[in-house]
Amino acid sequence: MRSKLAALLLGLAGLPACAALNVFACEPEWAALVRILAPDAKLFIATHAGQDPHHIEARPALISQLRQADLAICTGASLEAGWLPLLQQKAANPRVQAGQPGLFFAAEQVELLDAHQHVDRSMGDVHAEGNPHLHLDPRRMLRVAQALSTRLGQLDPAQAGVYQQRFGSWAEAWRRQVLRWEERASALEDRALIAQHSSFAYLWHWLNLRQVADLEPKPGLPPSVVHLRKVLQSAQQAQPFVIVQTSYQDPQPARWLAGQIKLPVLSLPATVDSQRLDLNAWYEGLLTALLNAATPAGRS
Amino acid sequence: MITKFALTPLSLAFALSLLPAQANEAAPSSAALELGLTLDGGFSSRDLALGSRERGFSVGHTELSLGGAIDPAFSGRATAVLHQHEGATELELEEAYVETQTLPAGLQVRAGRFLSQIGYLNPQHVHTDDFSERPLLYRAFLGSHYFDDGLRVNWLLPTPFYWQLGAEALSGKTLTGVSETRQRVGAYTVSSKLGGDIGTAHSWQFGLSYLRNQLLGEAPAEEEEEHVHSHEDEHGHSHAGSYQGRHLYLADAVWKWAPGGNNRERQLRLSAEYARLAQPSLAASKDDAHQAWYLAAALRLNPQWEVAARLDELKVLEAHDDHFHKGRLQERSLALAYKPSHFSTVRLQFSQQRDRGGFAAASNAVSLNYTMSLGAHGAHAF
Repeated sequence: MRSKLAALLLGLAGLPACAALNVFACEPEWAALVRILAPDAKLFIATHAGQDPHHIEARPALISQLRQADLAICTGASLEAGWLPLLQQKAANPRVQAGQPGLFFAAEQVELLDAHQHVDRSMGDVHAEGNPHLHLDPRRMLRVAQALSTRLGQLDPAQAGVYQQRFGSWAEAWRRQVLRWEERASALEDRALIAQHSSFAYLWHWLNLRQVADLEPKPGLPPSVVHLRKVLQSAQQAQPFVIVQTSYQDPQPARWLAGQIKLPVLSLPATVDSQRLDLNAWYEGLLTALLNAATPAGRS
Repeated sequence: MITKFALTPLSLAFALSLLPAQANEAAPSSAALELGLTLDGGFSSRDLALGSRERGFSVGHTELSLGGAIDPAFSGRATAVLHQHEGATELELEEAYVETQTLPAGLQVRAGRFLSQIGYLNPQHVHTDDFSERPLLYRAFLGSHYFDDGLRVNWLLPTPFYWQLGAEALSGKTLTGVSETRQRVGAYTVSSKLGGDIGTAHSWQFGLSYLRNQLLGEAPAEEEEEHVHSHEDEHGHSHAGSYQGRHLYLADAVWKWAPGGNNRERQLRLSAEYARLAQPSLAASKDDAHQAWYLAAALRLNPQWEVAARLDELKVLEAHDDHFHKGRLQERSLALAYKPSHFSTVRLQFSQQRDRGGFAAASNAVSLNYTMSLGAHGAHAF
């Protein structure tokens, strides 16, 4: 009876008694890395590809999950500024507070595109730290995975070697895969496209694509008719081949523009599928969609 | 000393070369001290019974909030509110608290001045509301929003769903308008909140709370007295509730639906609260009670437009010599909100009040208001 009570108290105190790591992933791409490096970890994914990660509500379900976490892995660079701080405050979990090893920000592990020294609200929703959507660059993903494997080792020293080993074997396969993708994507080099928001900026940067117009008048503001008319006038001479948006953005503005300038619209998932957590399949899908749009003859 | 730092071209160049680097480093840690300003104001065609907005042009609550982590163990926040009352500008400290961040086992302690966590809306800042006035329930029983000095202890249970238990000990002075009392603790609250998700599209929260007023029957401070006893033509200057009682029981429920969980594009929010304020005076029995409830629905049509509707009802007992007169007020509100960005709202609202006894000041009003924020903008609670 007494041991049962002790066990219950231990359980209530939330001590990670040698059990598998409890991981709270703000976005599915980081959950995918956790699945690779720590397949036994208990994983909760706060958002999915159908949601805009800038605009998540600090829902009770997320608070109760963060309360249990040994590690919270998030993008950072203010992407979650509208909800993560409130979750941290309400979850009252000392392990995932700022400065603790249990809080891991991917954006702190790599250099970001478009860092600003001066930011004000008149510019729209611009992050001073830089563009946070770094998971669309496979080379940056590699560096994040490496830092994460080290962090996992810090939190769970007994298995530190195992995390390093898993990273090593995944990294080797990933590097080869990235080379294959780059080879395949050479047809896309220096092509122009129109997109909504800077969601895919890292993908364009990696594949040497040029985004010549943004459907949003300012970052984070929904497309307006006035702005779309401007895009219509200015973008055509750059000869874009496609309009790209994420699957969580309203399809109407892109469709309207596409109807005016006779371009295909691609609605692409901005992150990996939460069920499969398969990074390869997701990158593969993005690449195939872009290649199909760029080479109409190759469309099946 | 001065000559040492004289501006030679070389030192100037050196100083300038440092600047960008410092700016670069400062950017990611901008969260050290959050400073936020909320501006609120507008135009109202008429005064509402128990309303807080004055007829004509007026500035509402101008809120200045400062907060952040103090050290790894504590965080803190202070919120000052400027508002207009009968031609004078008043400055009020609404929040000034410190809170623990690192207690084990889901425990959290807050001390200082803060918004009591009873009900659904009370712990939330007024500028996050979907309407330009708080529900009648809050305006009648809690002085629109009840903040007070005291201590809070919360426990977040290690359950797979959200379950928080909390207790507060408060001075009770802002609720009752009593400024001199022998009671060390003027009000106690206990509360329980449950919540979770159903699938990807639905989320819910249910709360029960109780407040015990220890100061019932004590004389309010002179200047407050008038407000406590008259509910007609009141502008919520005093934060004391217009109606008092020994026991306040509150039940609240919230349900939100967003297709596919994509709440930025479209969302339906339903909320309802019921309150029973029992034993209105020392002579009254526990069965004598004021009551109030509301039902609100807000619909986000797209990221920039929302419509909201609310039904309110208030039933009160007015003491007359040795018996009570019953009073009843109903209110219906319809609001259309335009939100050009996450930080600005312009709201057109129509409110209709019906006097069902005792509320001769009931009226209808059309109002146009703005609520906008600069600087750090604290995340909104669920």
